[in-house]
Amino acid sequence: MGKEESPQVVTRRTTRSSSSSTPNSKNLETTKSCNPQPMTINDLVFGDEHISFDDLISSLPGRRSQIHELVRLLGPLNSPTIPLFIYGGTSTGKTSVVLQIFRYLNRPFVYTSCRTCYNPRVLFESILNQLSLHRKDVGNGYSSAKRCERPSDFVNLLREALLTVVNNLKGHLENSSSKKSIGRISGKMVYLIIDNLELVREWDKSANLLPFLFKLYAILMLPEVGLVYISNTSPDTYYSDTGYIEPIPVYFPDYTEEDLRQIFLRNQANQKLYSSFLEVVLRPFCRTTRRVDELSAAFSPLFKKYCEPLSDLGISPSEEMKRRLFSHLQPHIMPSLNEVFKISSRPSSEGESNKEKANRQGCTQRLRGCPAIDEIDFHMSTSAKYLLISAFLASRNPATLDASLFDSTGGSDNRKRKRNSSVKSMEHKEAAEQELLMKGPGTFPLERLLAIFQCITSVEEYTLEEEEPGTNSLGVESGDSGLMSDVLLQVSSLCNANFISKGGSCPLDGSTRYRSTASEDMALKVARSLKFPLSKYLYRR
Amino acid sequence: MGRENLAGEALILLRSRLCNPKFVFSPFSDSADSNYSKLKFILSSSVTEACNNSVLLLGPRGCGKNAVLELVIEDLLKEYPDMISVIKLNGLLHSDDNCAVKEIARQLCVEHQLLFSKMVSFDDNTQFMIGMLRECGLAHKTVMFVLDEFDLFAQGKQRLLYCLLDAMQSVTSQAVVIGVSCRLDADQLLEKRVRSRFSHRKLLFLPPSKEDLQRLIKHILVLPTDSSLPHDYVVEFNAKLLNILAKERFKQIIDTLSNSDSTCSNLLRFLFSAVCHMDLKSGFLLIENFKAALSSIQRQPKLEGLKDCSILELYMLVCMWRLEVREQDSYNFNSVMKEYRSIHDSFQTSDYYARNVCLRAFEHLLERELISFMDHRGHNQSTEFRPAKLLISYHELYQGLKSYRSCPAILQKLIDRER
Repeated sequence: MGKEESPQVVTRRTTRSSSSSTPNSKNLETTKSCNPQPMTINDLVFGDEHISFDDLISSLPGRRSQIHELVRLLGPLNSPTIPLFIYGGTSTGKTSVVLQIFRYLNRPFVYTSCRTCYNPRVLFESILNQLSLHRKDVGNGYSSAKRCERPSDFVNLLREALLTVVNNLKGHLENSSSKKSIGRISGKMVYLIIDNLELVREWDKSANLLPFLFKLYAILMLPEVGLVYISNTSPDTYYSDTGYIEPIPVYFPDYTEEDLRQIFLRNQANQKLYSSFLEVVLRPFCRTTRRVDELSAAFSPLFKKYCEPLSDLGISPSEEMKRRLFSHLQPHIMPSLNEVFKISSRPSSEGESNKEKANRQGCTQRLRGCPAIDEIDFHMSTSAKYLLISAFLASRNPATLDASLFDSTGGSDNRKRKRNSSVKSMEHKEAAEQELLMKGPGTFPLERLLAIFQCITSVEEYTLEEEEPGTNSLGVESGDSGLMSDVLLQVSSLCNANFISKGGSCPLDGSTRYRSTASEDMALKVARSLKFPLSKYLYRR
Repeated sequence: MGRENLAGEALILLRSRLCNPKFVFSPFSDSADSNYSKLKFILSSSVTEACNNSVLLLGPRGCGKNAVLELVIEDLLKEYPDMISVIKLNGLLHSDDNCAVKEIARQLCVEHQLLFSKMVSFDDNTQFMIGMLRECGLAHKTVMFVLDEFDLFAQGKQRLLYCLLDAMQSVTSQAVVIGVSCRLDADQLLEKRVRSRFSHRKLLFLPPSKEDLQRLIKHILVLPTDSSLPHDYVVEFNAKLLNILAKERFKQIIDTLSNSDSTCSNLLRFLFSAVCHMDLKSGFLLIENFKAALSSIQRQPKLEGLKDCSILELYMLVCMWRLEVREQDSYNFNSVMKEYRSIHDSFQTSDYYARNVCLRAFEHLLERELISFMDHRGHNQSTEFRPAKLLISYHELYQGLKSYRSCPAILQKLIDRER
């Protein structure tokens, strides 16, 4: 499955110069980088080898009608086109289809993604660089061909660059028709493809930039330019107050179950075995998600499980065999349905989790929701664990209760007080629960975190070392200094790992406020590993 | 020449017509009371009488303001060669005064073969512009300033507009300012000192009437008999086309199209799509092509998004809708999860998944923009706690569930019950 996925992912994330290096043309890429020849106009088309229309259709299962529609809209050679707007959910093959169609058509194009080009200047310069066949390298200090920040400069430069390219193409056409040269480039149209347009909405000044991008065709007034926008979200999410000339919408729906079956069957060594596997798993999994990337991440460990009883992976399973395999797999389906992110054994999961990370944003958020089995499955230093617990306590407990929870008399008394307070708030329980659901963990200043940290570490240390409750906590002051030494460093590393999130500053005193994002399960697990009585300190409403 | 080649050639011809606004709007130039004639009269009189003038072209997007202006300017440039220089600005690009003046200076330099320097200051550029205006006035040359997206120039201090219109108060200069805007109240946006210098000539561009639409379609789609295409093919093509245009079903299609948006640009997109659907084997346009084009142009993105949802995502949507019906003032993922659990408890559904799987489904919905967060604050809050809201109406959700292929009966029941 990984094999099938990787080219798609690559084309989606990178600009064309690297996306053209499909696995089989890797050596080409290396030769390219060691002797940089000046780029020619031929570099504006995709890759090297040509593909036929049948290849195009069969390489992108489930996208037949979209391919037909796009090819029709792009039209025959040298026909002008109205801007196109391609939209559809994540991992529905928008970018791959468009790039492969241009590979099939052999028409020159410029691909930019608003994900890699993260602000207007980078976007503009990337388009201009590609058009003027400029490559960033050591010689020019990795600088762009033109410095261009404002849309007004961009339009002038773009028009200039486009005219040069179009003239070159015309000259190229004449040459190739007279001399029969082997230039594969066809037509005198240039297409600009702008991917991930939905991200522009988050940029500064997007209120002006988006109408500008949509109006680019009308502003340029060059019939030799075709514009293709690719977006995750539908056109109605772009409406602005004074509107814009709308492009022609082309919709990419999510894959159906049948499409998914075809996609997963590609590049499988044993088609029969895999299809019997898919029969079992595809339907239940489709009820939760229909995204190829997520499904493939879930399927690959399951398929390994499925194959476990088999000695020979090349056989085509009989009915009885299928039943046996199914009963072997069945207990694993339900747990796997209920997890989104699995870290199984260290070495094999490494690549998978990396891929996962590349595929999704916000997976760090999901990390803390993961139901690890019994104990935490990653290494953490003891002081970091204490810090995590104190952050959790600081977020959950009201600040006013700190004094009573952590005073020197120790844990036993705390419990009584806690119970008292919980009895008191019994009538408010419902409302408070609702509030907790709505507001989430509270924020706290750094000082409070450190104070709680000091309290719990000091209590712990003497219960461990002296086993005698009731002594004065002043005695252990010297003992915890070792733990405190690099505590601030630990705080920042916990922040980076997203266990603690750094919030905005408090409007009153201006200090930064923190918030613990660890779930209760997580905190309990950490506490258990330290043998720390967390529930004793937790304020229950 | 094969039929396919012929059809291909015809297709290219039609496509280039559709992409050329000047061609599309040329039939409106004949009649005397058209905007074309009025604008031409205003502009040519200020050229011949050597006076200053200003005019606003207003109207919704896609009604041909710019195209008509282009046509007029092209004609005038032919009629009065060497007497007009055109400076074009766009509010989307040059709403910043500094930038606008620089662009004016650049275009003036290009026009008069002068050397333009990027490093010149704003004041110098303004001086240069006023000087050039005077020089042009003395040489009896009209400078036309075309300000597209005029409303965007009215943001801020309107220094540029004041500067231009003020320069036009003197007898020596000879300039026309043409503003183009889709805001009908564009002149109300002007400051008093600018408005008083403005001539208040306004031309209103409206979407074409039904008859005009028919005329326009014929104008665009009928192939010319004097082209490189063989005569008998053109005749057959046109006969079939006119046959289609006369059909009642075609008129219905045009009606549905113009009911939602009757501007020219919408029509052009529709025709473009229809032409692209043309079957190259037969080489003629069919009524099916127009029908297909209509459905590909008029899309319902929210319903499409609903169709793409997985069953679990539908559950999330129904839960959110139930919370909204109960008029909870705000809710977030946690309350949705609570609702989801209570549905499961009372109906024992087979689709009950762990919290993190639901959270993923929730995030998918956010990505599809079927739901969104209530506010843009609280970026440091995690997803579960930020208040959310539905972006689809009850009607859309109902429709979506009904047309969903294998929608669980329980969801239908839930949404029917709490109507």
